[in-house]
Amino acid sequence: MFEILEHTADIGFRTYGRTPGELFEAAAEALTSIVMEREVVASRIERPLSADGADYESLLVNWLSEVLYFIDAERMAFHHFRVSEITPLHVAGTGFGEPYDAARHRGKIVVKAVTYHQLKVTQTSEGWTAEVYLDV
Amino acid sequence: MATHIEIESLDQWRHRIPRNSQIGMRTDVIVYASRALLEQIRKDLSLEQAINVATLPGIVGPSLAMPDIHQGYGFPIGGVAALDCEHGVVSPGGVGFDINCGVRLVSTGLSAEEARPRLRDLVNQVFRDVPCGTGGSGFLNVSEKQLDEVLERGAKWMVENGYGCQRDAEFAEAGGALEGADPSKVSDRAKRRGGPQLGTLGSGNHFLEIQYVDKIHFPEAARVLGLEEDQVVVLIHCGSRGLGHQVCTDFLADMNAAMRKYDIHVRDRQLACVPIQSPEGQAYLGAMRAAANFAWANRQAIMHALRHSFLKVFGRDCRLNLVYDVCHNIAKQERYEIDGKKRDVLVHRKGATRAYPPGHREIPEAYRAIGQPVLIPGSMGTASWVLVGTEGSMRETFGSVCHGAGRLLSRTAAKRGRDARQVQKKLEEQGIVVKSETRDGILEEVPEAYKDVDEVIEVVHQAGLARKVARLRPMGVIKG
Repeated sequence: MFEILEHTADIGFRTYGRTPGELFEAAAEALTSIVMEREVVASRIERPLSADGADYESLLVNWLSEVLYFIDAERMAFHHFRVSEITPLHVAGTGFGEPYDAARHRGKIVVKAVTYHQLKVTQTSEGWTAEVYLDV
Repeated sequence: MATHIEIESLDQWRHRIPRNSQIGMRTDVIVYASRALLEQIRKDLSLEQAINVATLPGIVGPSLAMPDIHQGYGFPIGGVAALDCEHGVVSPGGVGFDINCGVRLVSTGLSAEEARPRLRDLVNQVFRDVPCGTGGSGFLNVSEKQLDEVLERGAKWMVENGYGCQRDAEFAEAGGALEGADPSKVSDRAKRRGGPQLGTLGSGNHFLEIQYVDKIHFPEAARVLGLEEDQVVVLIHCGSRGLGHQVCTDFLADMNAAMRKYDIHVRDRQLACVPIQSPEGQAYLGAMRAAANFAWANRQAIMHALRHSFLKVFGRDCRLNLVYDVCHNIAKQERYEIDGKKRDVLVHRKGATRAYPPGHREIPEAYRAIGQPVLIPGSMGTASWVLVGTEGSMRETFGSVCHGAGRLLSRTAAKRGRDARQVQKKLEEQGIVVKSETRDGILEEVPEAYKDVDEVIEVVHQAGLARKVARLRPMGVIKG
């Protein structure tokens, strides 16, 4: 679940999770949904994913950059994500999906990068919220 | 929003935000804009971002905002800043994710009248020959070793390997290859991500337009550039693809960590920077130059494919010549006279174009008498411009001017209430054929999403930073 945030040149999203792990899963799914139609992707193969950071914010940028690398360079189509371990300095998990197939998958937007612009990761009474802007 | 920022007008085209040391500004911000454009500029965060740039350690002269400025990340898009080469910093955000995003103008021997009957075939052929959008690997299949050569030699490598003629490299900014590129500083990830994309257009605001010369404003310069009214030309707008995006991503992560070591604090994490002379700064510059060279090679590969498209459709050599190629996302070491002394500075141009005046030694000899060509793409369906640099840019803006029309609406706002087929139909009524990989590609780039490019050009022309040469109008648009 995520909401699109507007930016003059680009695009952002706000997403939620009960725990940091769920937040990072939701953020990866939001990124994937902006890049392609996620609903038609089958979960046939797994990709281990990990990232390091100095705090939850830089960790989120690096985690999403890791996901983006697999989409853009390794031509992966992701359906969903599971985070298995997370601290403010390190996150590890798995992306589930299949190799990108132009005949079945529909790309939407080419995302160049994940930015630090107005980046927010905050803990609320109900859990965690993140706001992230993407360069497209 | 930026409405509370105090701005004083110096004249009709120049406006100043005075230095405020309380918020860490080390210098003024100078904005080039008409009053109408200034009102639009105040609506987003671009001026706050230009102020943040004014806080960077080692900034020389003012933080500059061009008339097409709009909100970016860290740096505003349409921002220029010169940083002292000895004591200043380098910021990957001041170059952007799309390193050496730029524009290439190709002239042809066809008139608009000759091309029009085959226009739809031509657009379809180019769409087949130049991969764009979300898919996209190019016709070139380079080995790891060849990719390193591309990163070192840029457009020159393409020409040497049969993808162009000698003139093609000569008439690109920096001869289509920056010296000091270091492929070993480009990560394996960046190479794997970008390598297969050599020869592709990408998506977003990148495009390839078949245009005609609508009006000549400076006949002498147009003659030197080989441009005449009604002539068909092609404008290619793209950059270093995934390779450049990954280089910026990699170094932003490194620099965010390294800033603690150098005790640098910035107002926005996207402005992460390190001293130019530090190992991290030098590594970034080596990788950035390599990515810039990749972008020049990329535009050269696209031009090579384009020659094939024209040959196939018209059955003859249509004499496609490179007019010029400029980059508008780059950091370059240049020398300027500042307070009577020559100083070496690293000019960050984030959505800004170099505009050297007549006589500058970095301009190809054939063009030296008229000044460096400046290529300004407009929005889809409006106009693009050819200008030449003037002395004013050397005195005031570190040899820089604007880079485009500048966005006005977010992508979401541009799509709201619009239908791609209607937009396409309206453009076709004006004689413009549009082909895009996606409907969103058309909607997000509707002309209404941008400022009026003619007004942006008027500002730099009237302010004496560059001079109008020719206005170009689109006939065919290929978009990602």
